Amino acid sequence: MNKMVKITIDGKTIDAEEGANLLQVARDNGFDIPGLCYYDKVSPTGACRLCLVKIKEQKGLIPSCTVKVSEGLNVTAFDEELEDVRRTIVELLISEHKLGCMTCDTASECALEDLAYRYNVTVDNLPFPVKTKYESIDDSSPVLAYDPNKCIVCGRCVKACYEIQGKGIIDFIGRGIETKIAPDLGVDWKNSACDGCGECIQACPVGALFEIPSVGKARKWEVEKIETICPYCGVGCRIEVEKKDNEIVRINGVDDGPANNGRLCVKGRFGYEYEMSNKRLRTPLIKENGKFREASWDEALTLTARKFSEIKKNYGGNSIAGLSSARCTNEENYIFQKFMRAVIGTNNVDHCARLCHASTVAGLARAFGSGAMTNSIRELEFADCILVTGSNTTETHPVIATYIKNAVLNHGAKLIVADPRKIDLVKYATLWLRQKNGTDVAWLNGIMNVILNENLHDKEFIKNRTEGFDEFRMVVENYTPERVEKITGVPKEKIIEAARIYGTAKNASIVFSMGITQHTTGTDNVLSTANLALLTGNVGKLYSGVNPLRGQNNVQGACDLGALPNVYSGYQKVTDPDIKKKFEEKWKVALDDKVGLSVVEMMNEAHKGNVKAMYIMGENPMVSDPNLNHVEEALKNLDFLVVQDIFLTETAQLADVVFPAYSSFEKSGTFTNTERRIQLLNPVLKAPEGAKEDWEIVQELALKMGYEMQYNNQSDIMEEIADVTPIYGGIHFYRLGKDGLQWPCKDENDPGTLFLHKGKFSRGLGHFSPVDYIPPAELPDKEYPYILSTGRILYHYHTGTMSRKVSVLNEYEPGPYAEISPELAAKLNLKDGEEVRITSRRGAIVTKARITARVAPDSVFIPFHFAEAAANRLTNDALDPIAKIPELKVAACKVEKM
Amino acid sequence: MKNEAKYENKIVLSNVGNIDPTNINDYIETRGYEAAKKIVSNEYTPLNVIDIIKNSGLRGRGGAGFPTGAKWEFTAKEKADKKFIVCNADEGEPGTFKDRLILEGDPHRILEGMIIAGYAVGAQKGFIYIRGEYSTAIERITNAIKDAYEKHYLGNSILGSSFNFDIEIKKGAGSYVCGEETSLIESIEGKRGNPRIKPPYPGQKGLWNYPTVVNNVETIANVAPILLNGADWFKSFGTEKSPGTKIFTLIGNVKNPGVVELPFGITLREIIFGFGGGISNDRKLKAIHLGGASGAVYDGSILDVPLDYDALKEKEGMLGSGAVLVMDEETDMRKYLKNVLEFFKHESCGQCVPCRIGTARLCEMADDIIEKGGKEVNIEYMKHLTDVMFKSSLCPLGQSVIMPVKSIFKYFNNEF
Amino acid sequence: MKIDTILSKYEPKSENLIQILHDIQDHTEGNYLKEEDLEKVADYLKIPKSRVNGVVEFYSMFSKKPRGKYVIRLCKSPPCFVKGAFNMLDELKSQLEIDVNETTKDGLFTIETTSCLGVCDEAPVMSINNKIYGKLDSAKIKKIIENYRKGKSEI
Ligand SMILES: Cc1cc2nc3c(=O)[nH]c(=O)nc-3n(C[C@H](O)[C@H](O)[C@H](O)COP(=O)(O)O)c2cc1C
Ligand code: SF4
Ligand code: FES
Repeated sequence: MNKMVKITIDGKTIDAEEGANLLQVARDNGFDIPGLCYYDKVSPTGACRLCLVKIKEQKGLIPSCTVKVSEGLNVTAFDEELEDVRRTIVELLISEHKLGCMTCDTASECALEDLAYRYNVTVDNLPFPVKTKYESIDDSSPVLAYDPNKCIVCGRCVKACYEIQGKGIIDFIGRGIETKIAPDLGVDWKNSACDGCGECIQACPVGALFEIPSVGKARKWEVEKIETICPYCGVGCRIEVEKKDNEIVRINGVDDGPANNGRLCVKGRFGYEYEMSNKRLRTPLIKENGKFREASWDEALTLTARKFSEIKKNYGGNSIAGLSSARCTNEENYIFQKFMRAVIGTNNVDHCARLCHASTVAGLARAFGSGAMTNSIRELEFADCILVTGSNTTETHPVIATYIKNAVLNHGAKLIVADPRKIDLVKYATLWLRQKNGTDVAWLNGIMNVILNENLHDKEFIKNRTEGFDEFRMVVENYTPERVEKITGVPKEKIIEAARIYGTAKNASIVFSMGITQHTTGTDNVLSTANLALLTGNVGKLYSGVNPLRGQNNVQGACDLGALPNVYSGYQKVTDPDIKKKFEEKWKVALDDKVGLSVVEMMNEAHKGNVKAMYIMGENPMVSDPNLNHVEEALKNLDFLVVQDIFLTETAQLADVVFPAYSSFEKSGTFTNTERRIQLLNPVLKAPEGAKEDWEIVQELALKMGYEMQYNNQSDIMEEIADVTPIYGGIHFYRLGKDGLQWPCKDENDPGTLFLHKGKFSRGLGHFSPVDYIPPAELPDKEYPYILSTGRILYHYHTGTMSRKVSVLNEYEPGPYAEISPELAAKLNLKDGEEVRITSRRGAIVTKARITARVAPDSVFIPFHFAEAAANRLTNDALDPIAKIPELKVAACKVEKM
Repeated sequence: MKNEAKYENKIVLSNVGNIDPTNINDYIETRGYEAAKKIVSNEYTPLNVIDIIKNSGLRGRGGAGFPTGAKWEFTAKEKADKKFIVCNADEGEPGTFKDRLILEGDPHRILEGMIIAGYAVGAQKGFIYIRGEYSTAIERITNAIKDAYEKHYLGNSILGSSFNFDIEIKKGAGSYVCGEETSLIESIEGKRGNPRIKPPYPGQKGLWNYPTVVNNVETIANVAPILLNGADWFKSFGTEKSPGTKIFTLIGNVKNPGVVELPFGITLREIIFGFGGGISNDRKLKAIHLGGASGAVYDGSILDVPLDYDALKEKEGMLGSGAVLVMDEETDMRKYLKNVLEFFKHESCGQCVPCRIGTARLCEMADDIIEKGGKEVNIEYMKHLTDVMFKSSLCPLGQSVIMPVKSIFKYFNNEF
Repeated sequence: MKIDTILSKYEPKSENLIQILHDIQDHTEGNYLKEEDLEKVADYLKIPKSRVNGVVEFYSMFSKKPRGKYVIRLCKSPPCFVKGAFNMLDELKSQLEIDVNETTKDGLFTIETTSCLGVCDEAPVMSINNKIYGKLDSAKIKKIIENYRKGKSEI
């Protein structure tokens, strides 16, 4: 915080922070100086000229939005002359602005409307005739429309797009009175690179940019606004939902949302239609003779309880397995694993984190003692070097990507991208390493080899804070840039340059995601990133660290709360007798001390007939898991399958009993985002009649199975979590407020932890692991000559259960496709949009070809969201030996033109 | 028949028309680069140079008349890794073409002035921003720069000293407001020519936020002669507050339109009726638009005011670029007003509200005056609007609309 | 000249944008800037396309629409106005049978208006491509156009 100074505004003395924005300070102190171009989230523009003030001893009228507060400023904010100027400016604006207030969705929250009212300006009392001609509206984008007739050319959208979102899609066109805004080269919005995040709409002070899906839904004063957390990804953006009659009208980012500062992506802002879908489940279903029929709750619960009890009695608790959910709340995950462990009597509980970040948890736990992002999301903006690898951040964590772009564009940080695909972030990068898929250990070792050779390592840090350096060093010495170039295909000069950039940065942060983790060497890859951070002392301090980006909204929480086969909540080992005892006492039941089955193992055991029943809460393995044909056989082989979800998913269709659940717009509870921040949900809408909250369903099942469980609400559950989970020890609903809390948060007085391992690693010393390069499990050969890799795209989410029920998202990306390089397309004589059959050793799919240089010549990329051409029919379920994560990022395939 | 000889005192234009501008040796023969050589080889410290310019009383010829020495001193005192000298050769002010004549006729004079300026303020790089329409000037300057590099008058260790100085040309692309110094800076940076808010001034934060001196071509053309001949010599021309000479461009309904360099203190009568030979077709003088589009429009009552930078302040006008546009009795001042306003509307950058919308509304109202007569239009509001634009526009473009509008209403009231 | 050849003359710094645009436009048949070229410029300079477009749109010398082989730009600023520029504009329009910002059917001429060209002592003035023609009157305009039609730019 800067020094406090005294200034005077209209005779009143005010204490303000030196350097603060004068207009902001004035407004905060009750001086309602008008101003339309000022937007506190971007650099001041000073162009609307409404905020002009007088400052003693300075010439002329000065735009207060461009003045930094300094000691002794003596400001006149209101006098006759200033108000006269402002009134005239409002008159000019009104004369240029199409007054469509009667049908404008912004009416009553329009900044210009307010000023017209304040200065009593109407079109009828203007001192000159209005001759403005109207231009057509561009409503070609799926989500937003631009009405040039309402545009006041304040430039807030232009700056929001560039300075906040880092995209720069919009700029001014024309000049003088013809000045307007337009995307890209002045094309229709639809044909621009705009990806629909809507940051510009949120920045528009009038109704010139507006949301198409909201048109005609409600007048501003009719809506109720409720804040909650976005239902999609792990960033955990805070959203403000506007609703009318139990329908969502509009969603905005919350400006003081701790992870997002008001930012959102297209899914967060526009992806809510599924919520009101008539496909929502409204009643329990029981399958009879291969067909579902509606059933009462009592009947469905009783049947399920009976079946589970029978199977448990006949084959033992370990013949049942459960999948918890990264889409459900922390409390529900806790209850689910408690149910599996205490009621069923097995540690066979896992969830889809296995498929994304099991190796992160394993690797970082080994290196640092804790398997989460070491830093907070917003710290990324202030790192001076960011190494992004295996993360197509702009599509998978769009809001986190904005901070990375801010670092580059607004603060001059250096970005290194290591990715086989030419992802969007490459545009912002100082350096792009295009490694061959699955060679991550090699290039990381190569960089560390150079760092050691050039003496860029942090000797002090290594000596005081780490162990295992010498052994590690011996391995790394073998990875000369020349050798690494041969393995990875990355020119040695680039390895050297990357080493110098990272090695000399003051604050370097590593960001990774599934491109690193989804390998048979996933744990090794993660260990290598940790090695790099340890080697240069770039961990345990502000702005520098190792930051795995977690996928789903509550995947961090589901892991934290013990929806894993080897740990209880807070990563407390099931094999530790003291821990087991603690939980046995708390839960009043004997517990198993054997590590349970992981996701892929469950499917294998079900396939073999050893697992007889499964309970799946809010997951869709029929799309998300590798080697789907095998998964399908496994699930069909079960004696009894229970699925609990908000829609009848591909997996639910195979179930014997289906329970209808609440969505996250309908309940309270907490999510933990990727930066370890526990945030409170607020129920926004009434759930469909007939559905129940997930935790309630589990509790009723437990009761029916004779286990005492009596929580009144999710807050009750959190009290128990806090009691048994040290890292959540200080978490209580009443403490969460708007900012939530970041774990570790040990007790009532703990403010939470911004970044981990300050002064001391969770495990004591940071541990260097010697890691050698091992090739992927399946490499291209004669029969399957191309590398297949899978991943996510911006417009859809996970298995598409939600996002594919949103028409605007489908408009952007209606269905499956495969990215194919121009080289490969030429070889196959393939045109863009033509159909191809892609085959691996495990299956085949037919999909559309999208020809793009984003993929390397010998590679194919398929988004995994689309069940009708499910990429996972092709993927390899070979596992990382430690983390049991499958190698979703590398498989061999062949491609044929249909 | 021009009466040039009788009136002219050539400092800036002394070489123009007398030497071959494509031959660096021609310039050298007129003591060219002598001042620069003396200075960079440490005969003068930067402070000495600034003192001489300050003493000479040289004021910016770009229109505002800001003291050049003070401007240089300001930038010289800034601490920064880099500094820049920018020569403003955008010359977009309607009626002005003096800079073009210097650029075309004596290009090395500009390079030499910039070297001296660079040495004085501690800049090692200069840009000449020339409007894109000036193709001959661009060609001449390009060649001059090439020749100067060949002779080691530019580049590293120039003129046998340890001083480094580079000059690069940047072409404009058709925008009047880019002559405004901050807009010009944006344009050199490759952006739209939207003026920046001042402060900070270019002297503190200019090109890429480094301290930058922006000087007009004519200003820079005065630098070498002043350093060769001394401040006192320079002060022997002109008036006390505006020493030296000024180039006037005389145009419109005069017998001998053209360009003339005269000492400050001269009157419009001498320029128009002396040098210009009076009104063409032997008509009567009606109006004089002085200083370019953004200056005031007067009737004959201005003819005997001795001209310098301060003389017109009380007459709510300015000398500006030195353009003298003469209109005879046939001119329809309502149409003229409209034409001037159209110019501003067309050249407004469009970022700030008062100028963007104000110029458009003023044009529409001027249209109505022509179509329906003055009584139909709220002329008081037009004046009020220019007042507000003066007070609230972001840059001097919008601020200066007040001058032509109010003066036309004042001096030609009977036509509205 | 090919666009890549032009680009290779400049360092990939955004400050070169305007210079590059000039160069491309001068070397493009039709005196204009093509969309695909602008995309390449944005890529080359690593700046958003919208930024390139914003600059093209700001400066009056640039055009995104194809123009005639000869772009006639008539000055309409006050000094030329006083000397009858608008009569000259009518003259041009009627001789070429097109309006301002239009191109003759044979693709030879486009008429544009411009702010002051800095040759005011010869008002009224127009430029054709880079050449200036002053002291215009009807007869002179006729002759200039005839000459251009015959492929001569001198009069
Ligand atoms: C709209 C506008 C246009 C201008 N055009 C020019 C110009 O074409 N040439 C010029 O030298 N100064 C022009 N100026 C003045 C410059 O902003 C600046 O004052 C000048 O370059 C400073 O140089 P000087 O101190 O040598 O006069 C213009 C100013 C405004 C407001
Ligand atoms: S006064 Fe006019 S030219 Fe100057 S910034 Fe405002 S809009 Fe642009
Ligand atoms: S808010 Fe300050 S000028 Fe617009």
